[in-house]
Amino acid sequence: MTKPTFDEFLSQEVSKAQQQQDLPEPQRPLWQGIDKAINAQSDTVHINEAAKGNGVWRQMSALAAATCVGMCVMYFSLSIPEQNNMVQMSQYFEQQKQILLVQYGNQPALTNDWQVQLQELEEAEQAIKLALENDTQNAALLQMLAQVYQQQLDLIERVHQPRWQKI
Amino acid sequence: MLVDAIHPCDELEQLVKRTQQGDQAAFAALYEQCHRRVYALCLRLLADQAHAEDASQEVFVQLWHKISQFDGKSKFTTWLHSVTSNIAISYLRKHKNWLQKVVSFENSGMDEAGIALCGDLNGLDKLVLRLPERARLVFVLHGVEGYRHEEIAEMLGMAVGSSKSQYHRAKKLLQEWYEND
Repeated sequence: MTKPTFDEFLSQEVSKAQQQQDLPEPQRPLWQGIDKAINAQSDTVHINEAAKGNGVWRQMSALAAATCVGMCVMYFSLSIPEQNNMVQMSQYFEQQKQILLVQYGNQPALTNDWQVQLQELEEAEQAIKLALENDTQNAALLQMLAQVYQQQLDLIERVHQPRWQKI
Repeated sequence: MLVDAIHPCDELEQLVKRTQQGDQAAFAALYEQCHRRVYALCLRLLADQAHAEDASQEVFVQLWHKISQFDGKSKFTTWLHSVTSNIAISYLRKHKNWLQKVVSFENSGMDEAGIALCGDLNGLDKLVLRLPERARLVFVLHGVEGYRHEEIAEMLGMAVGSSKSQYHRAKKLLQEWYEND
């Protein structure tokens, strides 16, 4: 059987999509989370009250982190054309990471293996930096590096700051 | 905009009316009937399985709170697709990392490993998920959902001409991948 032309394929497939045929299924059950969210208004109020009671430190930390990220973004965006992006990014994210690690130093983490995860991300960071040494302005590599840095910060924040309202 | 009906309209209308009156069992049934189409649209727009699942949940939570705003002038599924598209696009904006916001990096599409994790996908979805972000969004909204380029330009904050060129870019890439497959 011959392969349909691209236009035939596209027309058939778009028509199927519009008729909601061959739809993918989510990989995890979604209903429980939705049910919980729509029934949890009173619980949410309660949790928010509790969080207000002991969350001053967390709020201060988050504010400091957000301010720091904002400053990094401003500094980096203003100086992108002239300087070495990788070096700038590395310096500022390293500072940001250290600030977070110090801030959360005395707080218990939600998982035990977060440092292993952090180490894996740091290894990825090193591999990307190595590649960037030969191609300092490679946008794709810079994007990957930024993502790895962002993942590190997200990881540190996530394991120390439970998201009360996540479904 | 897309007009379709795989489920008997009367039954869906009844479920919508009962949900508007606060009937949670009807809402659960509505979810059963509609969750796959919502997830499919989120997946096509976001090209990330976990994000598509989160956004689908957000759609249904907002649907529960906003279903009273559905006035029955259009088909419910048309309205649902519109709500879903808007939520998925705003989800995408919220989850851009700082560097993407600052220097407008465009996310590349999903890689083959990610596509494999999404389970059974049809031929078009497998290709659509590989498209770069802007081309994918425009292709799905225009080519599948039936939005006009003017509407897409407003939704995505781009020029009408950009929407048209992204659509052609998407088609060109899809054709290339289809023919080389």
